[in-house]
Amino acid sequence: MTLNRKSSPNVVEIKSINIKEAQENILTNGIKLYTINASNEEVIKIDLVFDAGINVQDFKSQANFTCKMLSEGTSKYSAAELAEKLDFYGAYFQTKNTSEEAIITLYCLNKHLTNCLPFIVEILNDSIFPENDLEILKKNAIQNLKVNEERNSYLVRRAFNQAIFGENTLYGSYSNISDIESIQKEQLVDFYKNHFQKGLKYILASGYVDNETIKIINTYIGSNTFKVYDNIAKKYMAKRTEPADLYIDKTNSVQSAIRIGRRLFNRNHPDFREMQLLNLILGGYFGSRLMKNIREEKGLTYGIYSAIEAYPFDACWYIDTEMNNELSETGIKEIFKELARLRNELIGEKELKTAKNYLLGSFLRSIDGPFSLADRFKILKDFDLEYKYFYEFIEIIKNTTAERLKELANLYLKEEDLTRVIVGTK
Amino acid sequence: MIKYNQFQLANGLHIIHHFDDSTQLCVLNMLYNVGSKYENPNKTGFAHLFEHLMFGGSVNIEEFDTVLQDASGESNAFTSNDITNYYLTLPANNIETGFWLESDRMLSLDFSQESLDIQRNVVIEEFKERYLNQPYGDVWLKILPLAYKVHPYNWPTIGKEISHIENATLDDVKTFFKNFYCPNNAVLVLAGNLDLDTCKTLVNKWFAPIPSQNFVKPSYSQEPKQNEARTETVYADVPLDMIVKAYHMPARTDEKYFAADMLTDILGAGKSSRFYIDLVKNKNLFSELDAYISGDVEAGLLMIEGKLSKGVSMETAENAILNTLEDFKTNGVGTNELTKIKNKSETNIRFNDMTVLNKAMKLAYAWVLGNIELVNTEANSYLKVTEADIINIAHQILIPTNCSTLYYLSKKNDTK
Repeated sequence: MTLNRKSSPNVVEIKSINIKEAQENILTNGIKLYTINASNEEVIKIDLVFDAGINVQDFKSQANFTCKMLSEGTSKYSAAELAEKLDFYGAYFQTKNTSEEAIITLYCLNKHLTNCLPFIVEILNDSIFPENDLEILKKNAIQNLKVNEERNSYLVRRAFNQAIFGENTLYGSYSNISDIESIQKEQLVDFYKNHFQKGLKYILASGYVDNETIKIINTYIGSNTFKVYDNIAKKYMAKRTEPADLYIDKTNSVQSAIRIGRRLFNRNHPDFREMQLLNLILGGYFGSRLMKNIREEKGLTYGIYSAIEAYPFDACWYIDTEMNNELSETGIKEIFKELARLRNELIGEKELKTAKNYLLGSFLRSIDGPFSLADRFKILKDFDLEYKYFYEFIEIIKNTTAERLKELANLYLKEEDLTRVIVGTK
Repeated sequence: MIKYNQFQLANGLHIIHHFDDSTQLCVLNMLYNVGSKYENPNKTGFAHLFEHLMFGGSVNIEEFDTVLQDASGESNAFTSNDITNYYLTLPANNIETGFWLESDRMLSLDFSQESLDIQRNVVIEEFKERYLNQPYGDVWLKILPLAYKVHPYNWPTIGKEISHIENATLDDVKTFFKNFYCPNNAVLVLAGNLDLDTCKTLVNKWFAPIPSQNFVKPSYSQEPKQNEARTETVYADVPLDMIVKAYHMPARTDEKYFAADMLTDILGAGKSSRFYIDLVKNKNLFSELDAYISGDVEAGLLMIEGKLSKGVSMETAENAILNTLEDFKTNGVGTNELTKIKNKSETNIRFNDMTVLNKAMKLAYAWVLGNIELVNTEANSYLKVTEADIINIAHQILIPTNCSTLYYLSKKNDTK
């Protein structure tokens, strides 16, 4: 039998998806520990989540520097000693703060967990924020900011977020050099007391997390030293902004960075999942219209994409690219042409089917392995959703019609609603 | 421990199979044993440009990506000095589509002038985006020709200059394909939820009919031992001065490679490293200072690079680095320091081996190095390294006459 290379092998559509769900455990002190036990390797990632985001800070950079300084010393250990101890057990310790939370993450091999957790406890109980370390961190942060300000991609993102959310709002706020310079030790100590030491929101452990591991975590974090703390009375005042058209001149650029988009709704809105499909078709994957037109047919850029960035209290949608300077006007015209096509024409059956199949495959990849599963679970927590949200996703995507997508494009992708930011050389 | 099976087809294609039923996915990873080191020095950047063309359709399949996306899959690729690696991830029950796609583009590409013209422009934009329009983006374009005088590692994968990419012709493309893109110059890894029998059936069905090719890999000169300190100074629109030091080091297949890798960990990895504690924190001469290895198959580079704190002179900064190196060579490694680095290596390896994609790439790369079992012996190679090994390698390579230094200075007269 000769091999038929002309037609595709049989393709099976993804019909349903099994998600390994997080289990809820309650530590002795009442803190919830969510676990995703899905690893053959004996490795673990533990996220300690605190109500210590940018939304509860009193000064710019306060949440960020408190977070960064957690590993900079306790009354028992210096910054170098803490780093040395955790590195000795091959562990990675990271802190990160988002607009709404602070997250302390420990990555290690299970066999070293009992050696590592005491240092985490130490950091949570007794960080002292040494002044000298703070000064160095501030100096380095200022220097990093200066390097970032040389990047068109950083400038375009900052200007865009400031324009659509408003400069002094939760999602449009950026620290400048003087904000960093004016950070004081006392501000960090206050923030630590009021937002880290009040307690934890919850813990999320993924990787190899058997009962023994849960017991170990309970021994260290389940004691009376720690409490549950989740300040639910959060306020977020969205600011009204008008669509803007901004140009930032950056001499000697060989490319222009371009971001075009708008404020949008987040995952709690009923249209969100359908918008994910519409966004995918426009610029969310390699086969998207923007990639095909602007990269694969015209060669104007190395990459162009569109994305929805959803936050617990707000969201935005944008198209982003870095493009040949001389031809960027052509590129922008093509971007608007593609948006108009979505509003005026129905997406063809074949294109819609490809996009749906790809999106479902992409979802399947996003639940592969314990750390991916933990990321999915985190989304549910952030937006106060249940696993049903993901199971429904499959059905919603399968049932979305071309007519519905055109309707969404006319509702949400209108040219007059869009903010446009360009950073480059004219 | 990564378990695998391997077999070879009559046309020379080598296959490695790794079964993992904890995933619903399957990865198909095709590695061609060709990288930028096989390029003509006057036509550089070609291996990478060619990688782009591999997504432009093949003899029987017009649109590679559409077919893959229809089967819920995705793919990407990368080119290095040594290899070009393509990987596809699909739901395991659709893996045959991956076989169809990957075998068809090995059989023959759909060579078109139009596709070449467009991808040339795309790669030129990539050159600008990643190397020219970023602060410090051209460091590798500067340091490689300083460190390598004859070996083809002296240009980066993207190419020496944009004109080389502009001048690529369709004939170049065809010759390159014929020379390097054949079953006897490749390894195929299947990793994921696909059993060995099905794997063998599919491999035979799709790849066995592809003929092997006679090809000769271009020879190139080996780099002679460097015997003089080399320096270069450049000025650029950047906010901070930067120093980059590149030392020649042993090849990936040399046992000393592991000691050199651990040496950079001691010097520059993380907040308990010597550079960080002494030069970033205590003396604050640098806002960041790293040490790492280039990780090439052949003799590569041990790199030290750092951005200077404002107001620190280049001379002070460089002397501080050199003092740290001398101190290390004289006083050696602490026992805790050695255990620490070994524990860190173990963590890195175990976390890396969590996904089928990482395992697939690691298996393919081990084949290039000539021994697939390296995927499992690597951890032990790090554990075996002694204090003396690390001191010896430091004495051997961290010397001025083995070093190329780039002083990358800020044009700006900003004193803050």
